[in-house]
Amino acid sequence: MNRFRPRGVWGFILRRLLLGILVLILVSVLVFLATQALPGDPARAILGRNANPASLAALRHQLHLDRPVADQYLTWVTGLLHGNLGTSLEAQEPVSTLLAPKLVNSAVLVVLAAVLSIPLSIAIGAWAALKREKVFDQSSSNLMLLLAALPEFVVALVLVILFATTVFHVLPAISTVPPGSRPWNNWVALVLPTITLVIAVAPYVSRIMRASMIEVLESDYVEMARLKGLPERTVLIRHALPNALGPVFQVIALNLAYLAGGIIIVEFVFNYSGIGGATAEAVVNHDLPVIQALAMLLAAVYVVVNLLADVATILVTPKLRTRL
Amino acid sequence: MADISRRQLFAGAAGVALTGSLVACGSSGSSSPSTSSTQAAGQPKRGGNFRLGVTGGGAKDIMDGQNIITKPDQARLVTAFETLLLFDENYQLTTNGLAESVTQDTPKQYTIKLRQGIEFQNGKTMTADDVVYSLQRIGTKANGLTGYAATATMDIAGIKKLDTYTVRLPLKTPDATVPQTLGSYTFTIVPTGYKAYPAPQNGTGAYKLKSFSPGQQSVHERNPNYWRSGQPYFDTVTIIDFSSPTAQVNGLLGGQIDAMTDVPAGQVKVLQGQNVGVLVSKTGGWLPICMAVDMPPFDDVRVRQAMRLIVDRKGMLEQVNSGYGFIGNDLYAPFDPGYDHSLPQRQQDIAQAKSLLKAAGHANLSVDLHTTDGAAGMVDTATVFANQASAAGVKINVINDPNYYGNQYLKLAFSIDFWGTRAYLNQVQQGSLPNSPYNETHWPPKSGTGSNFVSLYNQALATTDAAKRNQIMQEMQQAEYNAGGYIIPFFGGLIDGYTAKVKGLKPSKGTLNLDSFGHGYRTIWFG
Amino acid sequence: MSQVSDVAIPDAEVALSPVRGASLLRRSLRLWRTRIGVALVGVIVLLAIIGPYVAPYGPSTPVGAPNADPGGKAVLGTDYLGQDVLSRVLYGGGSILVMAVIATALGLIGGAAIGLVAAYSRNALDDVLMRGMDVIMALPSILLALVAVAIVGPRAWVIVAAIALTTAPRVARVARGAAQPVVERDFIAASEAMGVPRWRILSGELLPNTLGPLMVEASLRLTYSIGLIAGLAYLGLSPNVNGANWGTMIKQNQLVLVVQPWGAVAPIIAIALLTMGTGLIGDGIARTAAGIDRARGEE
Repeated sequence: MNRFRPRGVWGFILRRLLLGILVLILVSVLVFLATQALPGDPARAILGRNANPASLAALRHQLHLDRPVADQYLTWVTGLLHGNLGTSLEAQEPVSTLLAPKLVNSAVLVVLAAVLSIPLSIAIGAWAALKREKVFDQSSSNLMLLLAALPEFVVALVLVILFATTVFHVLPAISTVPPGSRPWNNWVALVLPTITLVIAVAPYVSRIMRASMIEVLESDYVEMARLKGLPERTVLIRHALPNALGPVFQVIALNLAYLAGGIIIVEFVFNYSGIGGATAEAVVNHDLPVIQALAMLLAAVYVVVNLLADVATILVTPKLRTRL
Repeated sequence: MADISRRQLFAGAAGVALTGSLVACGSSGSSSPSTSSTQAAGQPKRGGNFRLGVTGGGAKDIMDGQNIITKPDQARLVTAFETLLLFDENYQLTTNGLAESVTQDTPKQYTIKLRQGIEFQNGKTMTADDVVYSLQRIGTKANGLTGYAATATMDIAGIKKLDTYTVRLPLKTPDATVPQTLGSYTFTIVPTGYKAYPAPQNGTGAYKLKSFSPGQQSVHERNPNYWRSGQPYFDTVTIIDFSSPTAQVNGLLGGQIDAMTDVPAGQVKVLQGQNVGVLVSKTGGWLPICMAVDMPPFDDVRVRQAMRLIVDRKGMLEQVNSGYGFIGNDLYAPFDPGYDHSLPQRQQDIAQAKSLLKAAGHANLSVDLHTTDGAAGMVDTATVFANQASAAGVKINVINDPNYYGNQYLKLAFSIDFWGTRAYLNQVQQGSLPNSPYNETHWPPKSGTGSNFVSLYNQALATTDAAKRNQIMQEMQQAEYNAGGYIIPFFGGLIDGYTAKVKGLKPSKGTLNLDSFGHGYRTIWFG
Repeated sequence: MSQVSDVAIPDAEVALSPVRGASLLRRSLRLWRTRIGVALVGVIVLLAIIGPYVAPYGPSTPVGAPNADPGGKAVLGTDYLGQDVLSRVLYGGGSILVMAVIATALGLIGGAAIGLVAAYSRNALDDVLMRGMDVIMALPSILLALVAVAIVGPRAWVIVAAIALTTAPRVARVARGAAQPVVERDFIAASEAMGVPRWRILSGELLPNTLGPLMVEASLRLTYSIGLIAGLAYLGLSPNVNGANWGTMIKQNQLVLVVQPWGAVAPIIAIALLTMGTGLIGDGIARTAAGIDRARGEE
């Protein structure tokens, strides 16, 4: 925002877009080079016990492993842009077919977590700001702080211990989604993973909300609105809240991106069939195409989400932050 | 026809000339249900979807009637495919399979008589043509099936159909173990022209493949036309891949699955406390620590002997398998009648181990031990052995490689592997000969004790007299006992779990989990 | 995570003397939360350091049947291999702590340097550096660590390097954000006019004034690093899988929670207390800094 040049909002969007594309290109090069450096022979890893020199050579040729690196990179990138994410070495099937249902599963989980956590944390943050330094504020702040410090898998396992295996036995400890079925067919299994993700994200959003709300409540224009004699309710809802939401957009976006990393461990703990689990499996199996595809996917999500956040912040703030 | 009780088959009954034969006692030509597993737990009931959770699979899962790579593949194979002969719960061969009889006419020739009236799942009748195709498919090297090595003595090209239900199987060299081979679970009979998934799957088994997502799950539907009347009992069988035993056990406790394979021994208490059944089968499965006899430092027999003396077998059994099983003496095939019980049980002897190592010039040995999560206990065995070895001044660095079976498998000096129950000679053929498919120890050595192993093996195969054959086997075992590359601390058996409503499971000594998966999910039901 | 401190800490108003860092720490200890945090961290760190010397058994010594209940030789029972849970907990913190501290320190130093240089240069270098940081941050930290481990193997230096690499950009952002207002100040221009070399300005003027936010960020990053290293161990990716390690212990004993919970619960408690402690310390420093700044702002 320091670089807000006179070309206006659209100029800003364009520049951020170009930067985003540049970032994605750089990430793609890095990801490709990094996974090229994996030790072990992917052809041998696929053929396993059945490897012999003839079949190895044939498979290597089929996987283009005998072409120069730059060549392989270009093939891969062109493929990406055409929606071809490569073929999994493990499963010998297109990555897109493999990941599509898992992507849906993860999206459901993330959306569910977001839908629950964002209003919750906005509410907590705003209320804490309003009742500043009072009991609710103190206790919620401390609770959020402690929850934020805990690693996600610890939170997940504590929930499992409390509600599934040891203290109570009311919820399932695993959340597998069989192929062909959708996550909402077994919604009970979604409860614990969702709560884990909510706990992972809510503390940050609520703290930002609180800080932002405090700043707004102490600002000139809210003061002005009050002096104008507007009822407190109107002041809060029409003047304070919208302005407080500005930075919150950015944080929400970043936390959605953060969830993209958080699901790796959370899905693992609950055996949830999403791209998080697929990432762990692909890394263990040295499945290059899948690792590359997932890394690019997550990077693209992050860049897009960041862009949207910045744009939203720009749109929200200047319109309202004019002097009254 | 010579009436030989199936239980006497390999019990070393003296002087029986036709020990290579198996004939059904008094059975008619038509189909008859298996009688070896009479249900004790009430009357079998029809219905339900049996959900089995398995680990060890992944996107690499296959469905091939005659091939497996991982345990989920085993679970799936037996839904639809069957063998000529069957092993019963005591690992004794029976003629309750697709064959009425398997007779050894001469040392180099067998005749297989098929049961009549059995149909494949698509309605086609099973005939000798299918048997010929099945054996030839396994015996074709290019197909790369796990059973290929076991066909070494067979004259694959010469297999002939004699009439609609009779097959002649000639051999290249004498081999009395052919019936055992025909009973192993990957030697199934597939229809002529059969190909593995994704081609349509068509077998004689109790369930038809309905859908399959490798690495996730498969669904199998009841075959209404199944030849054993009354079976199977379930409407469907669903086999679900799990990424870890944790998820499996939680699934079992939470009711998402009805049974699971390979319960880690330490979790048995968990299941028992929750009113979930645990099936403990004292099988002959083993997790050897493999030393390559041709790679340093194990090319010195003193080092191998020292390593075998380091193991605290009882402690290992206790730690790795919570005591389930029995200790081993570095020899495999404990249920084979020819197993040499006279060899003294090895005990831990650290002092002797140290002096042997010192004599071999390896007083402070440091070595890498490779393992992977391929079967329950593989990693734990390595861990515990490494701890035990430090008492003898040996530093073992455990390397857990997820790509173990792809990378250096069979080329490592020091590694862990897993095996199921087998008869002695079959096991030798799979793992202890120069041309064996899975010879981790690169046995036999070129010189010294054991260098005549191969000729002993060939003699044993050719010997039809059971007592004489046992003697040869014992000579072979003595060589392995003194100079072999395997450390076999214990036989841990198989531990599986199942919910209270699954009936009909019995402990079994066989190779496959869960009582051979309820004999192909036929002899179990919901009660 | 760093965004929290971006918004929560208002800009420093006045240039203070370089002792600010130490005095900030001292002042923050007046808050009860910082004290509790220090106490928690202290206890756990002590446990991790002297643990191996006071443990009743070695980490791999079998003391009973696997998954035995507490009692007899094993105060907290045994784990999945019959080893003493208490001893393994005492042995299990060292590697996590050492790796987390080193990784965070490296990331801090690197990130602060980059962030300060970027803020100070105010030109194309700033853009290049920060876009570079964006590229690294385009991947979630755990994914970066997983790929690194997949390439080289779960060696200690790989994990440390990967975490340092993901720490640096976030620290850089905070450092830059905190340094930018200071860079605009007159006394910086004055120093430049006087011919003070750039590196001295960076280290002598900019750095001390950004110590507040940096210290808060340091504790946030340390908390996160501990969680990430323990998480990697939980996935099975730690340098010495057979040694005792809290994350690995949780993975190994997760199944028997129903029957013998201590094998997993004890390390969970250890990790939880440690991370909550570092979190409290960070929050204490943040509040103190905000309090100081607010006080100064009103002058």
